[in-house]
Amino acid sequence: MSVSVLEALQPFKKPVLLGLVGLLGFLVGDWANGRFNSDSAPVQPIEFSHRIHASENQIPCQYCHVYAARTPSAGVPSVSKCMGCHQSIATESPEIQKLHGYWEARQPIPWIKVHDVPDFVYFTHKRHIKADLECEQCHGPVETMDRITRVESLRMPWCIDCHTENQVEHGRDCWTCHK
Amino acid sequence: MANISRRDFLKFIGAGGIGAGAGYIYAESVKKTVEFLVPQVIPPEDWSPGVATWYNSLCGQCPAGCGISVRIREGRAKKIEGNPVHPVNQGRLCALGQSGLNALYNPDRIRTPLRLTGARGSGEYEPIDWDEAMTSLGGRLGSMKIQGAADRIHLLTGTVRGHLDLLLARFMEQLGAPTYLQYDYTHPHSLYAANRMVFGVDRLPYYDIRNSDLLLSFGADYLGMWISPVHHSLSYGHLRQGRPGHRGTCVQIEPRMSLSGASADRWIPAPPGTEGLLALAIAEALVDGGGYDGADRADWSAALRPFKASKLAPTIGVDAAVVAELTDAIRRAEHPLAIGGGPAAEGSHGTAAMTAVNVLNHLAGSLGRRGGVLFGADPVVADDWRVRQASYARMMEHAQIMGRGDVDVLLLHGTNPVFNLPQASGYTAALDKVGTIVALSSFMDDTTAMADLILPTNVYLESWGDDVPEPGVGLPLATLSQPVVTRIHDSRSAGDIVLGLAHQIGGELPAELPWTTMEEYIRHSWRQIYSVEAGGTDAGFDEFWKDALRSGVWARNRAEMEAAPTVSPAVLAQAGSAASEFDGAENDYPFVLQPMMTQGFVDGRGANLPWQQELPDPLTSVVFSTWVELNPTTAAELDLEEGDVVEVSSSAGTLAAPVFIYQAIRPDVVAIPIGQGHTRFGRFAEGRGTNPLDLVATVTDESSGALATAATRVTIRKTGERLSLIKTDGVSRDLGRQILGPAKEHA
Amino acid sequence: MSTANTLRDYLKPGYYDEFDYHWAMTIDLDRCTGCSACVVACQAENNLPIVGEKRFSERREIKWLRIERYWQGEYPDIKLRFLPMLCQHCDQAPCETPCPVAATYHNQDGLNTQIYNRCIGTRTCAVYCPYEVRSFNWFTYTWDEPLEQQLNPDVTVREKGVMEKCTFCIQRIRIAKDKAKDDDRRRVRDGEVTPACVQSCPTEAMVFGDSKDPDSKVSQMLNNPRGFKVLEDLNTLPSVVYLQKVEEQGHGHG
Repeated sequence: MSVSVLEALQPFKKPVLLGLVGLLGFLVGDWANGRFNSDSAPVQPIEFSHRIHASENQIPCQYCHVYAARTPSAGVPSVSKCMGCHQSIATESPEIQKLHGYWEARQPIPWIKVHDVPDFVYFTHKRHIKADLECEQCHGPVETMDRITRVESLRMPWCIDCHTENQVEHGRDCWTCHK
Repeated sequence: MANISRRDFLKFIGAGGIGAGAGYIYAESVKKTVEFLVPQVIPPEDWSPGVATWYNSLCGQCPAGCGISVRIREGRAKKIEGNPVHPVNQGRLCALGQSGLNALYNPDRIRTPLRLTGARGSGEYEPIDWDEAMTSLGGRLGSMKIQGAADRIHLLTGTVRGHLDLLLARFMEQLGAPTYLQYDYTHPHSLYAANRMVFGVDRLPYYDIRNSDLLLSFGADYLGMWISPVHHSLSYGHLRQGRPGHRGTCVQIEPRMSLSGASADRWIPAPPGTEGLLALAIAEALVDGGGYDGADRADWSAALRPFKASKLAPTIGVDAAVVAELTDAIRRAEHPLAIGGGPAAEGSHGTAAMTAVNVLNHLAGSLGRRGGVLFGADPVVADDWRVRQASYARMMEHAQIMGRGDVDVLLLHGTNPVFNLPQASGYTAALDKVGTIVALSSFMDDTTAMADLILPTNVYLESWGDDVPEPGVGLPLATLSQPVVTRIHDSRSAGDIVLGLAHQIGGELPAELPWTTMEEYIRHSWRQIYSVEAGGTDAGFDEFWKDALRSGVWARNRAEMEAAPTVSPAVLAQAGSAASEFDGAENDYPFVLQPMMTQGFVDGRGANLPWQQELPDPLTSVVFSTWVELNPTTAAELDLEEGDVVEVSSSAGTLAAPVFIYQAIRPDVVAIPIGQGHTRFGRFAEGRGTNPLDLVATVTDESSGALATAATRVTIRKTGERLSLIKTDGVSRDLGRQILGPAKEHA
Repeated sequence: MSTANTLRDYLKPGYYDEFDYHWAMTIDLDRCTGCSACVVACQAENNLPIVGEKRFSERREIKWLRIERYWQGEYPDIKLRFLPMLCQHCDQAPCETPCPVAATYHNQDGLNTQIYNRCIGTRTCAVYCPYEVRSFNWFTYTWDEPLEQQLNPDVTVREKGVMEKCTFCIQRIRIAKDKAKDDDRRRVRDGEVTPACVQSCPTEAMVFGDSKDPDSKVSQMLNNPRGFKVLEDLNTLPSVVYLQKVEEQGHGHG
């Protein structure tokens, strides 16, 4: 006696549907994490707003980020750089008070790194800036951000896409970026 | 599908919920750990993150005194290279020098001052702060000075040259404490004594291996650990392939093939203690064959007659034909050079053996000539550290003084006599009679562990100082040591401690030693070097100092050689017999012990460096162990295989260690590497191996007072136990694979 | 790509028509004394782990460069010869083809690359390598504090499960190329990049450079008649050429 395929598969209907619902739930959970618990815009020790500095006050990126064009690791402005202006500007603001606290104690501000690549990757800011890339291309519209947010994935396919498009010399050789 | 049972509905909700949870947790897990971007507070002007800065300084791993360049990233020392502008090592560096970072960042460094709370040697210490340590020590020294008992304060250091030596000397002098000794196992006392006797010089001459075309080494491991191995290696490279069409020849004469022996064209396994006699046999053949044309030829001939090769052949284990070949080679060579050291200098008559080598150089015409032995200008810093170098005999005299209870305070720095002196010397017991032992030390080594008060010192990479290397390169030169990192523990440099004590003690001391830091003192001292060079003026010193800091070294660009000294045949009688004597009767103790230094461990100081413990020994590929080297025939006769634990005994002591079958050692010689067997020295060194120096009988060379480490006879007993040697080699034979190149047709 | 072109490509060794640089090294065995300075220099530069006694006894040491010993003859006519052995960066590397994930391949500079995060640890490459220069991380090794302060930030610290080997100090080559680009030069000059081992060698036995540059020191050394390649008949086309030790003839024993 023969049975049709659908009939034969009947006992598996529930487990398969459960599996599908589970998978759907997995995707929802993953999305929810990205939407509600993302690490792309962490709370920083001082609520520094790029919008105020770069947009309102028209300070160019490399005025503060001095090392970006000259070294592989861009670094972050020193506390003395901030104090250069803020010893007298906006000193009543609670955030500036925090800055003064760090300065008085001669402690560095422990910024949380937003644009991070793994330790086995060698990324050189200097070469990218010398290649006439705009900061916004990778960092997004920073001058609109009150809290710095990572907008690009910074993952390898994204890097490779740009290296391929722009025909970077040896840009697809693994050892160009991997140490 | 319209009717779903409640149970099924709940199952779906559950599946969805678990899925969502899993998805959320998964997304969480692939997030990177939070990393911080830490800025500078006030950035240094010339600094950028991600870019290295380099500081030139002095290597302190062995007494050679090479210059180093250290790569610093974000305030941390990452890599040590040779200083390219330093005349001694010219940008090159040995394995031990590279391991300096293991010393700086060693996990077992002493991090704070310590005071003994338990019994001496118990290892029970409590941390105290510097103020307390300095006040109590300074107070003690000061009160002893006032009471007129300052002569009971003694200072014992390792090799210290340059201005730190002068500082210590001045400190002790002002204190009224005349006993300042330096003890360094590696110091070649017999070589110095022979040079004094034959050449009348207190400093080592410059051995111009680079320009030689025939190098005869009597036991000197010039590529391994003899005086200045990096410089000699550079010279060796040039001697081999640096002059197109002219390749120099190297002959090595020693009972056990050293690193230098492996690179020699000809290795002659001379019986222990006969190297000096072989040198005299060659000298005799040279004079007799007309190879020496000095006016005193007849006197030399007479003085050397007892050393005719045919007569000596049975003793020196080398027949007359070979002596004739070597003599011929000397005559044909344009720049022959003989050097001596290692076991040849460490026999019971080591000074006589080294005298023989000096005589050979004289007769071969190498004195004062390019490619030979060069006598150079005075060092730029008038130091007399050589006078302070204590031979074994002197150390024993000092031990007697300590044993009588005549030393109330012993200050120790950079030396480990508890490890390096043989047990039979009784040194440790004598040391125990000292009232208060104060160690200025970076590591809790065997000797520091006997201290009552420990003041942690900066490692050389954290210290200001200077050095005049010996024998250097034949031109006046001084190396600057500057800190390449800020000190990483609560330690101070030895010089700063002494300057601090001077201020604590008071009296005339602060006026005589008016500096507060070593940096100040070194800068002041180099101002004086500069003004002598500049003809008495001080102007331009700031520029000079900046240059010195940048390059790490100062050298006069022209060597001023002195004329070769005259050598008379009378030195042979003065030196006495070059025939070695041994402790122990041959019947009871059939083998001669050769405790040998390796480049990695030196006299044991390298044992706490993990990179050195992990580095396969160049000749045997063994790691982490002490081994007993036996000739294959000897091993077969004693029915011993590699890994069999044997008991090696002399009249002075016993040790047990596994056998290593070494292809290039005389059948009547047993060699054991020095370095392991520390009772205290940190996690990488402790509980590992044995110290062959504990077997050495207390035979001394009378002329120099040096301990004759190559004059002990031993016996071997199979214990039946086994201890696998850890090594990286398997079968070290080419087996026809032509790995070393195509097979050559022999003429 | 046409079939004819594809076939033509397969007949050529290596992946490239022409290398951009072709890094090569010569080691003069007449200068080498076996002192092992190169071994420790490599350890310091490339974050090689401190493996420990137990791992050594299991033959699981990690050394990118090792000194091999070859005894010749019998006592007293006994000789010892040294051979520093490191990754030969073969132009026809037997290790590159079998890697299932292409974690090792030949790049445009003639280097045999090793990409740690791509490696899945099958260890096939190590089996295929005739020179046995590949080391596998059987464990994640740690450094006792503060030894980790010495680690070189330009070199990845490897974890358990990846293969590693000599890279000709790619981090130094990268920095040299970077500097050359800064100076508007397109080419790295001879002597601007030296791997750690070459820099440290006290006898100047090792020479490194671009063999495509006819004026470089290494190109001259490659022409030396004493030059040979180890296991040459395996046709791996190594980038490391050894200069055979000169043996003086005509000696009896001592």
